[in-house]
Amino acid sequence: MAIVSGVNISDDQLVEIALTSIYGIGRHQARKITRESGIDLNSIRVKDLSDSQLSIIRQKVDASNLTIEGDLKREVQLNVRRLGDIKSYKGNRHRLKLPVRGQRTKTNARTKRGRRSTIAGKKMAPTH
Amino acid sequence: MSRSIKKGPYISPKLLKKVSEFHRSGSNQPIKTWERGSMIMPEMVGVTFAIHDGRKFIQVLITENMVGHRLGEFAPTRNFRGHSRNI
Repeated sequence: MAIVSGVNISDDQLVEIALTSIYGIGRHQARKITRESGIDLNSIRVKDLSDSQLSIIRQKVDASNLTIEGDLKREVQLNVRRLGDIKSYKGNRHRLKLPVRGQRTKTNARTKRGRRSTIAGKKMAPTH
Repeated sequence: MSRSIKKGPYISPKLLKKVSEFHRSGSNQPIKTWERGSMIMPEMVGVTFAIHDGRKFIQVLITENMVGHRLGEFAPTRNFRGHSRNI
């Protein structure tokens, strides 16, 4: 178990993968951080890292200009709240828990709308 | 896809003219407009617009937070009242 930037715990994954468990760091940033730390991307897992290597990674994450974890979550939340406060279309879509960017909602949109709930009396789509 | 930065914000010249006239006259009549696609500029803050929603005009007071959005975002074109309750 290693802790990078607060509470993020990584395990026996490759460093590049483990870093993506930090909210706000994806594959691209993770790869960049590992490369800049001078770590062999393809072979080293987190448990094999030496303390000095780990501290380099920690430093890189903290020194980067990335907004991560709580800060990022707060930022996103504030942006959404702003949209709601000004009563914009996007704000309304967020409030209704429907997709914001014009996607269809006749079918799909399950990520945003959550699990399917059965509606009584609704006709099934014809199957061929 | 978002609009090219090179082109600058889209705003109808006629609407801009209306806004500057509004400021000059000092009236507080809402500006009636069909320009739903025009971007809200900083000089529109404090102006009330009557934005067409396809049927009627919806009055919206522009605040600072709205700058950079389009006028149409504040005048919904659909009126969803919920699904029917019959079985």
